[in-house]
Amino acid sequence: MRLFLNGFLFQLRLSRRSPDTFLVCVTAPLLTTVFLSINAYTGRHELTSYAVVAPTLMSLWALALSVAGSALTEDRDLGTLEGQIAAPAPMALTFLGRMCSVVVVGSMAFAETWLVAGALFGRWIALPHPVVSVACLLATALATAGTAGLLSPLFVLTPSARTLQNTLTFPFYLLGGVLVPVSVLPQWLRPASYTVFLSWSADLLRDSLATDPVSRPALRLLAVLALGAAGYGMGMLLLHRVVLRVRRTGTLTRT
Amino acid sequence: MEPLLVIRHSAANAFADMRAVYTWRIWTFGWLGRMLAQVTFFTLLGRGGDEEHLAYLALGNSLMTCALECMSVVASTTWERISGTLPLLAAAPARPVWVFFGRSLQWPISGSGTSIVALLCLAPLFGVSWQPAQIPVVVLLVVLTALTTYCFGLFLAALVLNANGVRNIVSSAAYLVMMIVCGVNVPVSHWPAPVRLLADLLPLTHSLHALRLVGDGAGPGPVLAATGLALLCGALWLAAAGVAFDVFMNRGRRSGGSDHF
Repeated sequence: MRLFLNGFLFQLRLSRRSPDTFLVCVTAPLLTTVFLSINAYTGRHELTSYAVVAPTLMSLWALALSVAGSALTEDRDLGTLEGQIAAPAPMALTFLGRMCSVVVVGSMAFAETWLVAGALFGRWIALPHPVVSVACLLATALATAGTAGLLSPLFVLTPSARTLQNTLTFPFYLLGGVLVPVSVLPQWLRPASYTVFLSWSADLLRDSLATDPVSRPALRLLAVLALGAAGYGMGMLLLHRVVLRVRRTGTLTRT
Repeated sequence: MEPLLVIRHSAANAFADMRAVYTWRIWTFGWLGRMLAQVTFFTLLGRGGDEEHLAYLALGNSLMTCALECMSVVASTTWERISGTLPLLAAAPARPVWVFFGRSLQWPISGSGTSIVALLCLAPLFGVSWQPAQIPVVVLLVVLTALTTYCFGLFLAALVLNANGVRNIVSSAAYLVMMIVCGVNVPVSHWPAPVRLLADLLPLTHSLHALRLVGDGAGPGPVLAATGLALLCGALWLAAAGVAFDVFMNRGRRSGGSDHF
């Protein structure tokens, strides 16, 4: 737990000096305004919850991509990567702590979008199932941190990582049913959607903002967590292999 | 002729950057695919409504892609600070605005390509239709949108040269504000007067209006009027960027040419 906390606090200190971490705090309210202005124009007020859920999940995913793309390269630039690899503390734990601290910022986007919907558009969304909403946000934050753990070594291994980072945004928002439910997507795409944790999070978060009872919340939360854990597990395995290889070949600083 | 020469030489950096980041394959399947997904994403917001609004969203968001890409000029201008070339630029006799105009020309070129593909190949799937004779006008309006929005981006870039840590925040906020106020998703008339005033200052509002007029089969008069307004806005933003870069460099020269101007 101490290692996890150390990683959490270390990344928080780094983030304080990196305005990009707070980019989502600026973009989330603006995206909400885009979505709600369309809803207001078309008169489809019943879709307000979609306009609150989408920027929240988009912010979390954007942060996961951003931190995954920069964490290891930033460590290399700071000269701390070698120390982390040589230290006996398992990097998997400190890394998870770091990812979790970043997604905390992303979770703030939910409060922002909720406020924008109420203050600018007069649509104060009630929380009829607060426990499910909060649990879903927490599970999504954890799954995001876990998925960032998978993306991080992938970005290190991939040439043009920045382009890949950019590419994985809107196609995933579509595939993850962030704004448009998965049921609207073509039949052949749906199985792929269910392997993306965002699709489970989006559906559950939207349901938790509706007045109807939420069906099977525990099972759906478990799906979000399991997909996040699977991503994290695969990522750490990949990271372990990368580290073993660069230690064996002595090419850490050139990776 | 001197500005053109400076722009040409500076653009060599832009194309070198482009070649370093993209291959044709990465641009087509990575960048273009991502942007087409973005257009689809925002267009699907109109699902379940009337088909006219779906086409409205598809057209607006297709043109928006080039405006979005042009906002990258804010980031790529600040790369000059990271490269350490600002003191040299301050010492050079060329006007900095022409250097920076050429420096990021890869964005309006790439952005125009993205928008043209979106308008001609993706938007028709959502009800937008073009006559063959309209296509050259569409292409011209896309290029005009890219270049005039690029001039607006250059002005923002001049403002954030001393605060390059916020470059991504400024460019993202700028393109999202354009998405909100310029008539991309809802008509400009939907907004209160102060917002409409802001929209009128942005070239995208007028070039998008011109494109919608072309799509509606309007005559050349209204299209040319809207195009003229877009050009005027672009020229004013370029002039403002020129002044902002001059002020920035003169301040640097007075303070002894340190890296922080």
